[in-house]
Amino acid sequence: MAAAFTVINHTELSGSAASVSIASIPSSYDHLLLKVSARSDQSAHRDTLNCTVNGDTGTNYSRTHLFTGTSSPSSYRNSGGNKWHDFMELIGASAQAGTFSVGTLWLPNYAGTTGYKQGFASSATTQNSNTDYQWGLQNVALLWSSTAAINQLTFDQQTGPNFVQYSTFTLYGVTA
Amino acid sequence: MAVIEAIATTYLEADAASVTFSSLGSYEHLQIRGGAHTDAAGAGYNAFHIRFNGDTAANYAFHYMRGYNGSNTAATAATGYSYIFCGLEPGPGGLSTAYGTAIIDILDYRNTNKNTTMIGLTESVSSSDYLSFFSVLWDDTAAVTSILLYSPSSASFVADTTMTLYGLNSAN
Repeated sequence: MAAAFTVINHTELSGSAASVSIASIPSSYDHLLLKVSARSDQSAHRDTLNCTVNGDTGTNYSRTHLFTGTSSPSSYRNSGGNKWHDFMELIGASAQAGTFSVGTLWLPNYAGTTGYKQGFASSATTQNSNTDYQWGLQNVALLWSSTAAINQLTFDQQTGPNFVQYSTFTLYGVTA
Repeated sequence: MAVIEAIATTYLEADAASVTFSSLGSYEHLQIRGGAHTDAAGAGYNAFHIRFNGDTAANYAFHYMRGYNGSNTAATAATGYSYIFCGLEPGPGGLSTAYGTAIIDILDYRNTNKNTTMIGLTESVSSSDYLSFFSVLWDDTAAVTSILLYSPSSASFVADTTMTLYGLNSAN
């Protein structure tokens, strides 16, 4: 019986890095699952995480957010982006030391070549603060308007410019 | 070695005040999946709490957004708590056979360079419905070595409550 989960890549940063790229993703799985524990060096409490698929910088990315950083959750949508901007929470350098954002990204049927690729991300910026926008929670629906199989994921920050040491990115291949 | 392994499963054959996982292994991440029901007297629901390493000091912060009672949404930020609030579980004032679902991720739980953070989704559909998406900070960089799950206010988890702890490796 084949293993249901396989580690494709695990990256723990030994120093700061402007981006993390996972290339040569095999097409042999059914789904991808990413776990992120990361922090930005932006001098703010919150930054956000971006994702570029297969190096595509065309305006092929859409997303719908259910978000809160206050007592009132809200929803918003963006289309025509050149990457999945803001697709995950990312805690910043002004936030509590030693605290990292947490997030999960699902990319079902990532290797199919018929339909556009959709994803789902849930993430949080959490620290010892109840001040508005010093924390954040979001669920995001994602669309990449391409029928190409996903073979590369590149992560950077909306502001950054770097991920800090000890940030981790673990990509799993999931077999049905 | 499988990438994801079931570390332990607790299936309650009788009511119990709490469930504890104390042998957490050496994984990269942990995940809890479960279904719980409380015996809190007369209540349609009760809170569902967690503590790490037996820490009862005010070292926890949590943030959550929730949908409840059909049409309401709200969010809350809380700091300085002595426990983690993980949303609600069904109680005896509602459907006796409803067991609220919980899926909780604890990332890098052994990394002593990081305060422990977790993210989760819980629900209670019974006499009133409640869906909670939450994150938690444990303000401590110690490795997590035990996880206590309990139903507060002198209540217990009832029989058939099930909690499974999974470990996720970062290498094959």
